[in-house]
Amino acid sequence: MTTRSINLPLANDQTGKHTKTIAVQVSTVNIPAKAVLKPTGLALLKHGFLTISGLIMVFPFVWMLSGSMKSNDEIFSNPLNILPEQFRWETFVETFNSAPFGLYIMNSFTVALFTTLIVMINSAMFAYAITQFKFKSQTALYFVVMACYMLPGAVTYIPSYITLANMGLLDSHTGLIISNAASVFGVFYLRQVFLKVHPSLIEAARIDGAGEVKILWAIVLPQCKAALATLFLITFITNYNSYMWPSLLITSQDLNLIATGIRQFFIAEGNYGLNWSQIMAASTIAVLPLLILFIICQKTILSGIADNGVKE
Amino acid sequence: MKIKSNALSEKLKVLLFIAPLLIPLFAFWIVPFGWSIYISFTDWDYISPEYSYVGLENYQYMFEDSYFMDALNNTFVFALGVVIPTVVLGLAFALLLHKNFRGSQLYRAVIFSPWITPTVAVSIVWSWVFETKSGLANLLLGKLGFEPIPWLESGDTAMIVVIIVTVWQAVGWTMLFFISALNKIPESLYEASLIDGCSPWTRFIKITLPLISPTTFFLIIVNMINAIQAFDQFQILTQGGPSGSTRTLLYLFYQQAFEQYDMGPAAATSLIILLITGVLTLVNTEMGKRWIYY
Repeated sequence: MTTRSINLPLANDQTGKHTKTIAVQVSTVNIPAKAVLKPTGLALLKHGFLTISGLIMVFPFVWMLSGSMKSNDEIFSNPLNILPEQFRWETFVETFNSAPFGLYIMNSFTVALFTTLIVMINSAMFAYAITQFKFKSQTALYFVVMACYMLPGAVTYIPSYITLANMGLLDSHTGLIISNAASVFGVFYLRQVFLKVHPSLIEAARIDGAGEVKILWAIVLPQCKAALATLFLITFITNYNSYMWPSLLITSQDLNLIATGIRQFFIAEGNYGLNWSQIMAASTIAVLPLLILFIICQKTILSGIADNGVKE
Repeated sequence: MKIKSNALSEKLKVLLFIAPLLIPLFAFWIVPFGWSIYISFTDWDYISPEYSYVGLENYQYMFEDSYFMDALNNTFVFALGVVIPTVVLGLAFALLLHKNFRGSQLYRAVIFSPWITPTVAVSIVWSWVFETKSGLANLLLGKLGFEPIPWLESGDTAMIVVIIVTVWQAVGWTMLFFISALNKIPESLYEASLIDGCSPWTRFIKITLPLISPTTFFLIIVNMINAIQAFDQFQILTQGGPSGSTRTLLYLFYQQAFEQYDMGPAAATSLIILLITGVLTLVNTEMGKRWIYY
């Protein structure tokens, strides 16, 4: 009895037929009320557990903020106080003065924004060609792109570095942007989305004599706004946070991205393990813009990742 | 004549749409890939223009090199150490949060938030938490009457710290995937099992677990691939130390290529990383084909 009702839909894949029969059976049987009602004690336990877990998850952020507000003396004399004796906002001013964090954030922001825009444009065009045009080697092309998905960055770093050196684009934001301009994830994601656009719409537009660029821009893209927003946010966040490749390319102080900048500040002479207050202020400066972005766009990010099976 | 020009413009149209992606893809992915394979057969040092072809020497040397073998071992220890807690915790949170209730969105957002933030910045915060003299971890241990532990200075504990930071960042992302998998399980199955009088535990083992197994498998593989490619937290927290105890393959690659300029061995190391990721991806695709329940 038990096994039968459970195994049916498994064995029958996605036909859904058997699931339906079960549903009919269910509606005729009364489910004991006890099994449906949730005991409040259990709910309390659940909330208690989740609250504690949630606190553990945000604790590093709280610790960071608290540390940035304390004076260095207080950090060592009263380390366990979460609320500082007095809120020292001036630490932020001092930190901003000791390294150009505003500039670093601007750099990260600009690079991430331009990279994301290019990725959106070229992935959309490629995904459109793959899903709406008919040409030989279509599938092969898609597989070549997808195969690049498993190529770890490390494999391409050395040659890409040399290529950029030959082009004279080492230590420049342009080099950083063009070397990140192809996103396999963008293609994979938009292809899935474009496949859901109804072909008759595109057919109709073609008959009306619309050009392909216009169809993509005026018909396909407006239908995928939610997906485009998700792709934008994910690409932007990934690029804003990226560290290894930019740290290899960028050598000038004033071109640093925030991740590289904050690391240099961290390891700079006299800071490591001494000036925790300023180090925490610097971390706050780096983390806060993204946390704010996340709070604003929380719904898009969370549901976008959960619904569309987003990797990375 | 008309047909011919049509066909030509058709081709041009396709080209116009695929070129913006294919040019950077070739320049920074595909060509470098081939080039890396070539470099891995040489002893190039980046600085001098001359190099010689050494065949498989870089690969042979690898297996005699204790640095490489240790790094390989560390990579697997790290990957397993990250994947198991991430998937277990991610599933636990998803089970508690997949149904909407008051506050569930907030819990989700809170658990997910570490994923958003730059790894470098949060690793710096964690490096303070695990600082030996004034770090939070040791202060708490002290309150409980334990001796302080030199977390990042000791080979036994440094890896644990990096694992904790990585799990902390990855768990929310894993949870979201589990939530969407759990929401796809038809409600009727649970109702049927209630009628049959299944205990919650049986229900979990017999219905939930088999139905989310493809997602679980996918998450194990993807988290493993991400762990193999982890770099930022290592560079902030341990720089591969103490004495190589947290040097993973990717960190070894970084040191070979950009600290020692041994491009040949570095390229060979990167191809081993590719080999491991490639095998994992193939296993994932194969299993995906066989296990499709959804």
